[in-house]
Amino acid sequence: MLVAASERDAWAPIGRSFEVAHPGVRVDLVEGPNATDLRENLYTSALLAGDDAFDLVSMDVTWTPKFAGAGWLAPLDEAFPAAETDGLLPEDLAAGRYAGRLYRIPVRTDVGLLYYRRDLLEQAHLAPPETFDDLLLIARRLQSPPDLWGYVWQGAQYEGLVCNYLEVLHGHGGFWIETPTLEVGLDRPPALAALDFLRTCRMGPDPISPPGVTTYKEEESRRLFQDGRAVFLRSWPYVWRLAQAADSRIAGKVGVQPMVRAPGREGGGTLGGWGLGVSRFSRHPALAVAFIRHAVSLPSQRALCRDTGYAPALIEGYRDPVLLAGSPFLETLRELHRGAVLRPSVPRYALASDILQRHVSAALSGLEQPSEALSAAARETRLLLGPARTAPDAPKGRMAP
Amino acid sequence: MRETATGTTRERVAFLLPAALLLAAVVAVPILRVVSLSFERVELDGRAVTSWTGLSAYGRLWVDSRWWAALRNTAVFTGASTLLDTVLGVAIALVLHRRFRGRGALRAAVLIPWALPTSVMALAWAWIFNDSFGVANDLLARLGLIGRPVAWLGEPRTAMAAMIVAEVWKTTPFVALIVLAGLQGIPEEILEAARVDGLGASARLRKIVLPLLVPSILVAAAFRAVQAYGAFDIVYVMTGGGPGGATETVSLYAFQNYFRYLDFGYGSAIATQTTIFAALLAWIVIRLARPDGKEGEAR
Repeated sequence: MLVAASERDAWAPIGRSFEVAHPGVRVDLVEGPNATDLRENLYTSALLAGDDAFDLVSMDVTWTPKFAGAGWLAPLDEAFPAAETDGLLPEDLAAGRYAGRLYRIPVRTDVGLLYYRRDLLEQAHLAPPETFDDLLLIARRLQSPPDLWGYVWQGAQYEGLVCNYLEVLHGHGGFWIETPTLEVGLDRPPALAALDFLRTCRMGPDPISPPGVTTYKEEESRRLFQDGRAVFLRSWPYVWRLAQAADSRIAGKVGVQPMVRAPGREGGGTLGGWGLGVSRFSRHPALAVAFIRHAVSLPSQRALCRDTGYAPALIEGYRDPVLLAGSPFLETLRELHRGAVLRPSVPRYALASDILQRHVSAALSGLEQPSEALSAAARETRLLLGPARTAPDAPKGRMAP
Repeated sequence: MRETATGTTRERVAFLLPAALLLAAVVAVPILRVVSLSFERVELDGRAVTSWTGLSAYGRLWVDSRWWAALRNTAVFTGASTLLDTVLGVAIALVLHRRFRGRGALRAAVLIPWALPTSVMALAWAWIFNDSFGVANDLLARLGLIGRPVAWLGEPRTAMAAMIVAEVWKTTPFVALIVLAGLQGIPEEILEAARVDGLGASARLRKIVLPLLVPSILVAAAFRAVQAYGAFDIVYVMTGGGPGGATETVSLYAFQNYFRYLDFGYGSAIATQTTIFAALLAWIVIRLARPDGKEGEAR
């Protein structure tokens, strides 16, 4: 199994306990690059060649359609009947289905969150924002750029931009691709309102995000926030532990809440997270399945999440005294996780995502007008999904509830 | 006579064969495979199912605005970086050709950027151009040239410019090296004669040195242009093609088709087209290098 180098230490004890339970079996953890795209390319190369180097595939939530559609994964429905997966977060489990079958078991989850500087808001006697307008208002009032920006997020042209846009879109009551019907919602009013919000953040009037936000990925935005140079940050759960660490400049001054929304709409963060699939080229499929079962057991989930701040996929983990003792934040996180927005499960997801990334990025950097950008994105997405609508194996994923 | 000639031919073939076979295996076969893939459609469903599609991938290229944009970006990147490389490379070569203390050390130092792996230097340049933590903004602000931080990689034009700067920084030493070799090939006597005839330094440069350098400059420029045309790693690391696709090159687009969209037919069509353009580019520059064919005959 290939994992990010940064995750190796968290996985090592799980591998060891598996080896103890299965004498004669050796679990090889291969350290890959930390960047998700690069690991996706490494897996793609190996699987494309039909190579049996990896028995298990450590998968991002969005890889399921691509990998399952290419026939690189073994279906797991029989190995994991409903009774066994009941204990896992339902949203994350749903993201592991493709064309009606289960290919990926979630191991840890991620959800987009809004962090804020509790101390700054309290000093100004302001309540945390509920709507996009609140966020703009508070950010404008508290910021003094370029030393203190109002709001930082991930605006570089990559998958993270889709996550950011999708949350804002959802908060405006819009949708990207409705998966059973393959309907595209990018040229509807909520999509434009969502893009206008992000554009206002960066391009003003009275911008609340640095112009460089169009180059930021997770770490650039976190550094700015953790240096005390931003009031609000949109990011994933991992930031909590780092921001509250002893060496952080903002330790004890951070609050977290769900993504804001338009009045009368539901807010929700984009669902992320990692899971395990079994390679079709594996020579040890039964052992691979046993390892997945081992990885979602409570002791393994403890080992994985206790020191890292990751959020477990096992629901029991959110009530587990051991995990809660290490991270009381988990209790809040379970609430924030409800209503998370799923990215659509379409076979050519990567291309659909690139179309959206490109046009949203073009609108945010002033290359295209928002309405042009969105109608172009909608047109291209329909062109892409068109033939898929009549395909016999039309995907049966789902968007947000 | 005849026997000797055949013997020579046979020997020539024997000597050339290993190299030719190696080149065929590592260059010709993959290129031909890519060309043939571009006429096919590959569906992955556990195994690869291929079907013949003829020229349809090329038809798609013609109407694909993203490909045209990538081609435009690649042309801008190639043109600007080759031009700057050449001008700076010649200037550096002229300096390094003079005799002065520490020349050996300086010659070695100039080569360092060329020796660095592209992805490493691209990562460093991405941080240099970072808007909040970057050295570029810090320096310019200290010099009073900019009031507020510039998001170099966040705006289409500056992102392209930043990428060109990084590329030029890395590849100028290559041009300098080739031109320096050319300079050392210019006989000292000619310059001496010109000096005796009363030609000034700048006139010697314009009328003797530069004309004699043209072949090496063109060779260096040809290599650079072909290389810049295939630029991938620097773009992948510095901008990922963003913002809004403003820095996506044809190689990056081909890569995305192969690895992210698993669209091997279309990726191959882009790669084939890129190879043809690069070959044309190289051919044009080499023709320019010997306009009257004299150098060609001399060989």
